[in-house]
Amino acid sequence: MATNLNGAVNGVGDDAFTVKAGLAQMLKGGVIMDVTNVEEARIAEEAGAVAVMALERIPADIRKAGGVARMSNPKMIKEIQEAVTIPVMAKARIGHIVECQILEALGIDYVDESEVLTPADDQYHVDKHQFKVPFVCGCRNLGEALRRIKEGAAMIRTKGEAGTGDIVEAVRHIRTVNAEIARAKAALSSGGDLAIAAMARELGCDAALLKKTAELGRLPVVNFAAGGVATPADAALMMQLGCDGVFVGSGIFKDAKDREHAASRARAIVKAVANWTDKQALIEASIEHGSAMAGISNAGLKPEEKMAGRGW
Amino acid sequence: MAKLITVGVLALQGGVVEHLSLLEKAAAQINLSPQQGKPLTFSFIEVRTIDQLAKCDALIIPGGESTTMAIVARRLGLMDSLRDFVKVQHKPVWGTCAGLVLLSEQASATKQGGQELLGGLDVRVQRNRYGTQVQSFVAPLKLDFLREKSSTEDEVPPFRGVFIRAPAVEEVLVKEKLGAKQPVEVLGVYRRNDADGQGYTFGGSGKLWIQCGMGT
Repeated sequence: MATNLNGAVNGVGDDAFTVKAGLAQMLKGGVIMDVTNVEEARIAEEAGAVAVMALERIPADIRKAGGVARMSNPKMIKEIQEAVTIPVMAKARIGHIVECQILEALGIDYVDESEVLTPADDQYHVDKHQFKVPFVCGCRNLGEALRRIKEGAAMIRTKGEAGTGDIVEAVRHIRTVNAEIARAKAALSSGGDLAIAAMARELGCDAALLKKTAELGRLPVVNFAAGGVATPADAALMMQLGCDGVFVGSGIFKDAKDREHAASRARAIVKAVANWTDKQALIEASIEHGSAMAGISNAGLKPEEKMAGRGW
Repeated sequence: MAKLITVGVLALQGGVVEHLSLLEKAAAQINLSPQQGKPLTFSFIEVRTIDQLAKCDALIIPGGESTTMAIVARRLGLMDSLRDFVKVQHKPVWGTCAGLVLLSEQASATKQGGQELLGGLDVRVQRNRYGTQVQSFVAPLKLDFLREKSSTEDEVPPFRGVFIRAPAVEEVLVKEKLGAKQPVEVLGVYRRNDADGQGYTFGGSGKLWIQCGMGT
């Protein structure tokens, strides 16, 4: 049973981390949607999103535009904060301490230290313990997830491959995390602390956090799916693979015919995540969703075009 | 044969497993208690459908996003059954955080266009009363109702209250006006200075109810 998972990681049973990780617990079973303006934020809220991610361009458009992708303009973020009552998240570049400080001062509810933006530091991620605002970070495997949690991340998401509408990378990442957690459990029961220490060296992560993960049988913080979710079936797939909720980046607004089509897509994905095992509900959600974004096959991307490789 | 008591947790979104897990613990504790005669048999279930709700003797509405829960409940056709459960059948219902918002008769600071509520508790609740995530906090609460029967002389240790984008009850509504049968009994009050040092003020009285119960 996943009880009080967030209270006792990082050696932190402390109030600050409880408050940071607690919001992520409140978001479980929900959909967090990327929005670029007030109108999209309102569509997301009315569709039942648990939070919105305010950013200047959705990942598919960041991919298309190229150049350097940075933190969004605070003016746009403020407008979105004023327009909705659900939590508002925003992205900062990997390692960009000052972008994080600005977002914290804006009163953002969660900072996504995100590989979707161009990294600012090729050595270090942000020391997230220094902030009062909580952070969500991406991962491709268990070692990466636990490195971020050690740095203070209060929520984890798969990296997937943002802006593609191709779910394959997100599936690879959650399956890798799940397999490594199973291996850590086996290591703990067969070889105890020594086996955990050996595996922690191999994964490049903190042994105490790895042991905690093995004991819990899951990541010690909330873990969402992200990066390539385009349809209600994609969202339900990630839930069935063990994610606690879903980020949808480009999947709502990319290639939507009009406002109503985007709203239908948003409602459909919320419905799929709330009913991820109910086949009838998934049929209804898939019909309501209509056509999905065209997307880009991950297999056709050159290594330098992939965002998931940013960060370590 | 002991009667089976079924408690549901509304599982549309939010802290569902946490409540199920605590229910299991509470059930074990009840049956260990010396006051308890015959052991009680409990069943704890997730509620997403009308059929599941019909099985429940009591319901918990967990923390999460109240707007999301209301929208999803409406879309799944659950809203009327939930209202019937709370207001017609008068079965016991517990609301945590977003659950409190949904059980309130009125809510302020709702999204544009307002928010659908279940109602049942004659209070007006204010959403996100303490501000955004960075203004969230943990505070010790003095809750006298937690006093165990055997230790009436002892001081009750403070309860660790976690307030994350938390709502607060800003007013207990006049019952005559709403035709309510049962008065609202305030079981605990959280007091906080009006200014929190960041320029936010929280009403004139400095009193916020954090825990409410309907009298039985």
